[in-house]
Amino acid sequence: MTAPLIYIESCPICGDGLCRIRVCITDQRLIGCVLCDECEAVWTDPSMEERISRKPDADEPQCPSCGLSLWSKNAHWANVGEVCLLGWYDRVRIVSAKEG
Amino acid sequence: MATKPRSESAVNALRMIPTKWAVIIIGVVIAYVVFQPRVNQWFGWKLPSVASMVGDEKPSKATTKKGELAKNDTAKTSKKSADAEEDLELEKETKQEAASPKKKTAEKAKTAVQADDENEPPAKASGQPDSNKPSPPTKTATKPKNDSNDDESDPLYGFLSKVGSNRYESPAGLVYGPGSEEGHRLKHIARHLEDQPKRPGSHGVIKGGMRAFLTAIDDGYSRAKKGEKGTTKKEDGDSTVYEITFEKAIGFVGGEAGGRKKNPATKKLRLVVRGSNVITAFPF
Repeated sequence: MTAPLIYIESCPICGDGLCRIRVCITDQRLIGCVLCDECEAVWTDPSMEERISRKPDADEPQCPSCGLSLWSKNAHWANVGEVCLLGWYDRVRIVSAKEG
Repeated sequence: MATKPRSESAVNALRMIPTKWAVIIIGVVIAYVVFQPRVNQWFGWKLPSVASMVGDEKPSKATTKKGELAKNDTAKTSKKSADAEEDLELEKETKQEAASPKKKTAEKAKTAVQADDENEPPAKASGQPDSNKPSPPTKTATKPKNDSNDDESDPLYGFLSKVGSNRYESPAGLVYGPGSEEGHRLKHIARHLEDQPKRPGSHGVIKGGMRAFLTAIDDGYSRAKKGEKGTTKKEDGDSTVYEITFEKAIGFVGGEAGGRKKNPATKKLRLVVRGSNVITAFPF
């Protein structure tokens, strides 16, 4: 069964990507951030007011907390439960598997 | 007092049991005889054979051990071979697809990119997209590794030259390397070879195949770097976003938003880079 697509809005940087919730699990802590699935721009939270810059030598977007790559095994797209845990449920749009 | 042979006593025991149950017991024994060696091999168990239980031979430990060793070896080599397969994936694609007829399926766009002829008629420029897979991929990124058997003299898609471990450089100096959710930037931009009509927002789709796409990107990048008319450049944090307008349509706007507008054709390309490393590119 395909997971629902959870996103905030279209990316203001590239226009084509969707700003989605990416979570990183480190030391049993769940850290969330907003990541564009096209241009890899990163924000700390769904307000998208604070953008996270990547280190000059980093090839991939990094978790704002642990610094690991957001494409590593520690990270994944958040599911609905994790979005609720982060307290961001009212900030996201959810496209069900049937619609999306 | 003479002891009866075991077989005789077994037969006498069966005679005392009702026929129905005797048949069932015989069936179970036959099934055990047939499957015991296979189960030992599959699961590494050490079920005794019927003969050993009867007392004629020892259980086959050697075969069980071999099965276990074979399993361990298979597990080790399967991981290596999976990595090696990913290594070769990018570079074998062009050879395979040069020989095969053109195909544009959702699966091929996801895992392989096509080296099509630039003169190929647009698949969806008329604004009638085929139904395709809905949401973006959610798989964990895989990172293809370098393979020692690569032939570095053959350019990828007849266009990109290999400059390092799984890194490719275009004639204009753009570098396509590992990264993104798909594991490699080439696979990432290959998402734009096909529409995703149910994807929220817009989704740019390039006309033609991967070769045409890379050529357009290179052409646009060269022009944008010179600041030619019809190009813009914007620095955004650690990324640079180029927008290039071409003379002819290079693709169309898909996704939900594009579908609502009947997939309008577009002449514009957006390219996002960090230094000379390509992050993404797509028509918009």
